[in-house]
Amino acid sequence: MAFKRMKTIKNPRKRKGEQTLGQLYPTNGKSKVLKRREWRGVKDTLYDYYRWLYIMSILARFISKPRNIKAMFRYRWMANYLAVPHMMDKFTLGLRDEALRITHTAMNFVIYDVAKTMDNIFRGDRRTGNDEEYSRHCVLTDENAMTAFMMGFDETKAILREVPTMFVANLLTQYSTTHYLDVAQEFGLPGDVCPMPEAEAGISIDDDFAVLGCCAVQVNTTCDGSLMGNGVIAHRLEKEYGIPTFQLAAPMRHREDDVQKYAAEDIKAAIKFVEEHAGEKWNWTRYFECAKRVNDATRKRLEWLDVNSTYYPQFVGSVFSLYNDTNYMGNCGRSPEFPPIDKKLLKLVHKGYQRKSMMAPEYRHRCIIWGVQPQYNIHMLYWMMHCWGVVPLTDMLSMVNTRMIAEEDTPENREQAYYDMAWLNENMIMRNRTHGGYKVLVDELWDFCEMMNADMVMMWEHMSCKALDGMHGMFEEQGRERGIHVVWVCHDLCDPRVYTRQAIRDEFSQYMRTVMREEPLDPTIEHIPDENMW
Amino acid sequence: MKDLKYLLYFENLLQNANNELIEQAKAEGNICAAFTCENLPEPLMNLGNAFSVRLFAPNSGSVDIATYYMTNLLCETSRALLERAIEGGFNFADCLIAADGCTMMNRAAENMELLHTMDEGKKKFFYEFMEIPLKADENGVELLVLQCKNHILKPLKEKYGIDVSDEAILKAVEEHNHVCRLIRELSEFRKEEDPRITGYEFAVLTLATYVCPKHLLIDKLEETVEEVRNREPDGKKWRARVMVVGSEVDDVAFIKLIEDCGTYVCADRFCFGSFPGRMPIEIDENSDEDILTQVCRHYVYWGMCPRMMNMEKVYGRKKYVNDIAKEYNADGIIYEQVKFCDPWAYERMLGSHMLREDYGFPVLSVDRPYNIASAAGQMRTRVQAFVESIEIKKLQGGAK
Repeated sequence: MAFKRMKTIKNPRKRKGEQTLGQLYPTNGKSKVLKRREWRGVKDTLYDYYRWLYIMSILARFISKPRNIKAMFRYRWMANYLAVPHMMDKFTLGLRDEALRITHTAMNFVIYDVAKTMDNIFRGDRRTGNDEEYSRHCVLTDENAMTAFMMGFDETKAILREVPTMFVANLLTQYSTTHYLDVAQEFGLPGDVCPMPEAEAGISIDDDFAVLGCCAVQVNTTCDGSLMGNGVIAHRLEKEYGIPTFQLAAPMRHREDDVQKYAAEDIKAAIKFVEEHAGEKWNWTRYFECAKRVNDATRKRLEWLDVNSTYYPQFVGSVFSLYNDTNYMGNCGRSPEFPPIDKKLLKLVHKGYQRKSMMAPEYRHRCIIWGVQPQYNIHMLYWMMHCWGVVPLTDMLSMVNTRMIAEEDTPENREQAYYDMAWLNENMIMRNRTHGGYKVLVDELWDFCEMMNADMVMMWEHMSCKALDGMHGMFEEQGRERGIHVVWVCHDLCDPRVYTRQAIRDEFSQYMRTVMREEPLDPTIEHIPDENMW
Repeated sequence: MKDLKYLLYFENLLQNANNELIEQAKAEGNICAAFTCENLPEPLMNLGNAFSVRLFAPNSGSVDIATYYMTNLLCETSRALLERAIEGGFNFADCLIAADGCTMMNRAAENMELLHTMDEGKKKFFYEFMEIPLKADENGVELLVLQCKNHILKPLKEKYGIDVSDEAILKAVEEHNHVCRLIRELSEFRKEEDPRITGYEFAVLTLATYVCPKHLLIDKLEETVEEVRNREPDGKKWRARVMVVGSEVDDVAFIKLIEDCGTYVCADRFCFGSFPGRMPIEIDENSDEDILTQVCRHYVYWGMCPRMMNMEKVYGRKKYVNDIAKEYNADGIIYEQVKFCDPWAYERMLGSHMLREDYGFPVLSVDRPYNIASAAGQMRTRVQAFVESIEIKKLQGGAK
């Protein structure tokens, strides 16, 4: 079968500001940050600068509290947060107009949310804030956990302590996890397991997690590694800190009808566990308020994806993924602060679409990003666009639940709600694809390619992700049969020592040159000396 | 000691996945239910004229084709099985019942299905994928019952007309228990100071009970038990006694290698080993509960799979190892893991620390290839060093 080929779309508007992005990178190979700020024309540069000041104000507010300063000296991973402004520069590089505003709106809110989470963590942390009363109302949950089982609690807070400690830290600086990986391996864990749960286990072994909460709820999230890492963390929580843990089971074959009751029953058990330890009763009124917000977020995500299916995608790239992760899972309808941001984003998306705004001089390929992204190089999706004109329409982690959940408080819906929470729990980001059989991982990818008119799949081959690697041959064969280019790009999730950022980019560039016979749109960024950058 | 009369016979059965007993059972018109996970209730695949065979890939060499399909980062067991399936080595199977247990084994089974490795020209062939409980509780029992009904009993009945009644299940459990009791009796001899059965012989016999039709194995197994009862130990001085814990040991040469270093393997606790896989299933026929539920309850509560994630199980597994090690007078524990196996990688790490620090056992923690031949030298060195360390501790009279 002949390979699909999409028509190249040229950007009719002249791009304001820098034309070649490579000149922003330091050439000495030592500097951690860009040489200078990007010139994007007067209006966009001013907007970008104003947002930069906003980020600095979030950081200033955070660090003004003594307990947070104390935490800065206690926790090794806190040093990564010096790189927050630089992270935004990575995500906004080369962006103008609506795309710039969408990225700032979404990501700035994520920064605000993470800062709030950290502030809450240190408030209750026994070593820093030590607010015992507050800590009694906190429930620790996993980094990749869907917080649906907390939707009906008013006072009790879900604390995703692994998010700032590991997940976000690695977005900020690429070497943030290496110390913890070494700790875990020195303790006896092989180096071939997924480095994310491995790093989390390492943080626990190193005793570098904040310690708070009346209890913890762990979930078998994305993989065997995540599931097994929980045991290591729970061991320390229970034996050393006296924090009881509950393991919430999410079935693997989550699309099958004959597992839903099992999942729903365990949600009930988790809620009961939290009620007992936090001393708060489940509130159905609050639950259904949250459920409405979950549905609202689902509708908005589908609308963004609709626009991305057109010739003029607007909300794309790593920020699309990160914002969806935060809203869908970490928030899961619990915060009323998200819907206004969703609304604002949708407005910008519609505006950009109407104006046919583009993010690069031309779009050559429409690409779906599949697999698990390298946390330390997640911004590469923008690089693909600027360097090669490949538009990342969506990514695997954003293709989550599309089903509406019950949102009216009726007796029947109260029973249905357990099934809805279980469904959300089963459909956490990533696990809804890595588990559930090959249909959800392989077959549905081709459906999405059809739906979004993609001619290319950029396949992140996370070398320690066994669930994805196990279907390697099938992706290859079926992609060929369907005439879709499958570009394999290998990485090791959060360990840049194994695969550097440039090694990752090289794999992509090699395919573009040798198979696609194309030349870069911006050759100055084909090779970037960012091995030592944050 | 005098060689066991049937040792060579049993060893030969392990030389090929499609062994002579499978061929005999198939020739007699029986239905072969192939399976891949220790969490699947075996008796349910031995109903009527169906017999269960646990897939394994003895004498695996190159796994190149499987590596193309699953990359070289997946555990060698899953790749070896897929390779063997692609080669046609499992064509004797009439169905494959897989568990979505450990991810890699699940992917191996999915590739087998997508590549039509076993079903060519077999109209009644079916692939089934089961959900396995992640915790030992009554919710898990209920799940396993439903899964067994939908993914084992229903297709066996519909496709092959197998009798899946309570009576049939009870009969299969009785046969299963008979095999388990024979293995248990052999196992008891391992407690002796001068044991009359080697760990290697025991491993051969135990593995054979998983990969052969049980009903064709029983007579020789009974004879062997009788032979061991009357066997004279040779008074060999073992340097140490160890318990082996970890991933499945399909290559019994691994146990032989350990024993060749002068170390007696006195107990085993691995996937498809005798603990807990060959513990008889206790059935109360007077109970109100049906037989199926009782069988499932046994598998949920007795299961020691590292993927069981409730903390009672996490701690319980280590205690279980400790209890067996004490009962069998082990001097040390070898935690082993097939390279790239995630569940056992974590279990090995936590287990080796807890058994050392909380229970006071010397522990050797190693990973190994599926076929030990490719790393025999390295493994021998590790085991020798471990035995020496145990000996030195004994000499110095220090803590165990």
